[in-house]
Amino acid sequence: MNIWQRLRNLITGKGRQSQELIDLPVIFEHFQEILVDNQRAMEIITDLGEKAGGEYIFDRQYLADAVTRLQDVLLRLVKGLNLVADNRYTDLYQTLDRIFLPLESELRGRLSLSADAPLVCSLADLPLDHPEMAGGKASNLAEIRRRLDIPVPEGFVITTKGYRRFLEHNHLEERIHGILENWQAGQGDERQTSRQIQYNMLAGAVPPDVSRAIRSHVEAGKKEKPWIVRSSAYGEDGELSFAGLHKSLLNVTGKNMLSAYKEVLASLYNPEALIYRQRMGILGEEAAMAVLYQEMIQAQISGVAHSRALEMSASDQVMIYAAPGPGRVVQGRSQVQRILVHCEPPFEITWLPQDPSAEKPGLGRANDSAAAREAGQSGLELLSDGVVRQLAIWVASIERYFKRAQEIEWAVDLEGKLWILQSRNLHFPQAELPNLEEVCDSCTAQPVIVRDLGSVAHAGVGAGPVFKVRSDEDMGRFPEGAIMVTPFTAPWLARIVPKASGIIAERGSAAGHLATISREFRVPALVGVADAMKMFDVGEEITLDTYNRCVYRGRVRALLNYELMHSLVFEDAAEFRLLRRLLKGIAPLGLTDPQAGNFTPDGCTTVHDVVRYIHEKAIQELMDIPKSLSRPSGVQVRTLASAVPLDLKILDLGGGIDPEAAGLQVTLAQVRSLPLKALWEVLTRPGVWSTEPIPVDFQGMMSSLTRTMTSSPGLETGSGIDLAVISDSYLNLHLRLGYHFNLVDARMEADPVHNHIYFRFLGGVTDITRRSRRAQLLARILSRCHFKVDVKGDLVIARVLHLTADEIEARLKMLGQLIGFTRQLDIQLRSDEDVDRFENTFFQHASPDGKCEAEGGQHGTTAIENKNNGSGR
Amino acid sequence: MEQRRLKIKIMVLDDEPIVCKRLKTNLEKVGFEVDIFTDSTEALHHVQEHPYDIVISDLKMKVVDGMRFLKEVKKNSPRTEVIIITGFATLETAKESYKQGVFDFIAKPFKLGEIQKVVEQAAAKIRASEKEV
Repeated sequence: MNIWQRLRNLITGKGRQSQELIDLPVIFEHFQEILVDNQRAMEIITDLGEKAGGEYIFDRQYLADAVTRLQDVLLRLVKGLNLVADNRYTDLYQTLDRIFLPLESELRGRLSLSADAPLVCSLADLPLDHPEMAGGKASNLAEIRRRLDIPVPEGFVITTKGYRRFLEHNHLEERIHGILENWQAGQGDERQTSRQIQYNMLAGAVPPDVSRAIRSHVEAGKKEKPWIVRSSAYGEDGELSFAGLHKSLLNVTGKNMLSAYKEVLASLYNPEALIYRQRMGILGEEAAMAVLYQEMIQAQISGVAHSRALEMSASDQVMIYAAPGPGRVVQGRSQVQRILVHCEPPFEITWLPQDPSAEKPGLGRANDSAAAREAGQSGLELLSDGVVRQLAIWVASIERYFKRAQEIEWAVDLEGKLWILQSRNLHFPQAELPNLEEVCDSCTAQPVIVRDLGSVAHAGVGAGPVFKVRSDEDMGRFPEGAIMVTPFTAPWLARIVPKASGIIAERGSAAGHLATISREFRVPALVGVADAMKMFDVGEEITLDTYNRCVYRGRVRALLNYELMHSLVFEDAAEFRLLRRLLKGIAPLGLTDPQAGNFTPDGCTTVHDVVRYIHEKAIQELMDIPKSLSRPSGVQVRTLASAVPLDLKILDLGGGIDPEAAGLQVTLAQVRSLPLKALWEVLTRPGVWSTEPIPVDFQGMMSSLTRTMTSSPGLETGSGIDLAVISDSYLNLHLRLGYHFNLVDARMEADPVHNHIYFRFLGGVTDITRRSRRAQLLARILSRCHFKVDVKGDLVIARVLHLTADEIEARLKMLGQLIGFTRQLDIQLRSDEDVDRFENTFFQHASPDGKCEAEGGQHGTTAIENKNNGSGR
Repeated sequence: MEQRRLKIKIMVLDDEPIVCKRLKTNLEKVGFEVDIFTDSTEALHHVQEHPYDIVISDLKMKVVDGMRFLKEVKKNSPRTEVIIITGFATLETAKESYKQGVFDFIAKPFKLGEIQKVVEQAAAKIRASEKEV
């Protein structure tokens, strides 16, 4: 039995025992609790999101506590909705289990792989932020390819789960453990230990499910092409460096695929790797090897690039080593060409004279094509300026992303296309590291443009020339490595974020769009810096240090070098990786359309989805109430006397009406509910409530005659009443004006923490095109007044949160005006141009007390953010 | 003045390595000398031999709890300024730590800027008292 039925029984006194009846105030109490919990849930989600930016220090306990608190709130929300809806949403308990169990298991262990982790996965589908599954090398490549959009050869990864399966299948876990224990106890040296373990591994069989998966991925790739099989151990290329300790095999073809896998796996127990892990305190059991299969690029030229040419004492230049043929083939070396490229536009190139003594180890040559070899040996330039610049740009962008100086392998294929083969942290001898006193001195000496302004969206240090972005056109000209300074925080900036060395935005919060994007691309970002556009000159070099919310004039080289070579990269810390993985199950919102088929408990995939779903369903449950009150006997419902032809019924939950007021009719002067007063006073003004009949044109009239009343949800019956459920600071208003339906739910208290307005508008008398035009018009007007707006056909949902009582009041007055203004507007919206016209008319005629328009806002492109603009959004 | 500032020695003690590592990185960058400990017993032994200007310690730790550690530090070197960092659950206990002469306490999770400010204030107090001497 739904609310409608229950209330009808309540009103008519039919069919139910009195103790089973649920009265309206109790339902609203539950509903208000749902709203409060909804905001609590969103606050926890926002809070977790902010922590991902690096400005905060937190530990695992914080993450565990936050997830527990979130779970408690969600349980209360599900319970609350079921209380309001007579237990018709019990499926949501299963949904919560489905969403929270993986979060709990993430919190339990650092190296635990979920049961559904794949044995083998293509680079294109590899889950990001799971180096414990794919190893460091493969994870880095997947990020370069997908986050930075830089070409990386196709490939697939046999995950660490495949490694565990291999050990299990061959009963090797115990045996390896025993051999390692003997070594620890002093029996035998690392060479004997290594030999014993590797012998056992090479004698093992690849489990059938793993070998099947390898074959199917190989067959899906280019036929008959050779592969490179590379180690991708957990920890390799990350915080710890195993560079060169494990094996990579080249030119692997069909029949050697499985033996290559075993050979690379066994290299996990190379003597050098054993010693290294022992020194780093990594236990045998913690070691795990993923293996990366990459299609081999038929290279005409290949080489290595260092993002910082420290060997040349040129810390702001990229050093490229190039030689003909594929790299790292055999030990016999030919001459290597060295190119220095300045790492900022215009990427000035210096071709260094060939110096045989400066050969780069590992750059052996074998199958040099004759022409290329000749070029290399004769001193001709192997690479064009264009390719050199492209490579330097990619190298700088990879370095920016990983926040560490990088050593990058690259190749140019036979068609002349440039590829990145792998990237790892570049390690420097201790002597070359910048000393801390120098860093402090440089920072103290440098002129400061901004200090202690704005909020940190992503922590880090970046430098470059200032480039101001105001429009789409500016975005097209954004130079690689510049600092973006912008008045906006809109999602359309996403395209250039990966190119930026840093971001300074006038608006926005640490939980907003731009913050989320800057975190994804690891770009240092400071948001909410008022007047930032006026503070900087275009083209001037600045250094942005968001750890200290500070902007220096010029490049603070010591600080930049310190960050790139020495400082802790917080993104790589286990806690931050854990937080990012948790956030994937918590923060994204997939359920945006309440009318879509997947708007169900099963369709919820994140905590945010569930919060959104419950909010929407609770509102829908309430929307049925006025219909059930068409004969309002038995409950204390009064009528508001009004100058306009509206028969508004009022149900007071407490404090909403002057206690002195007697009788069934009250006047606006007797209303104590602040939100109702604000809205109603404006709505019923003579200038706002136009009583003139609107001329209906033929199409509009036909549509109104033929349109069935059930064609829009929420308009099933015309017999509902206009109802306001109120308290001193609360309003839930259902208003049916002709053929469309307004719902306003608002709270307006001195403390803004629970203040909100939820506005929902649906329906109309004309065809869907005109009704959609009205929805568009509403959306534009609401956006300009800081609402977060969603439009689907003729349904408009708008929200604001956490505003002060004054700001809420101004918006309620605006809504009063808007409801009056748009009452019969769809009939008049004959063309798209009319939308612009009426938008201007609205703001021209808006009364001063309802003014809440955003400065400079236009058609939603400004996308001005509230602190948190939308429950469930 | 910078040279004086570089002399300030800080000990950071927290069970969680991430807290120690991040504090070390950030405080060193602004000119402090920082030693980090994740084992409270080891830290206790160390602090008895080597006095620090500032000690930053978690309140809730295994073996030696933060309150006891704080008392020991103050007993050995009354001039050492102690800053307590604590989870939400132990906030009340943290307030009690004021009675033990704690300079300030900060609830986890905290912003880098927040702790830096408190450390700067403690350092200023130390420098001022040095001047008086």
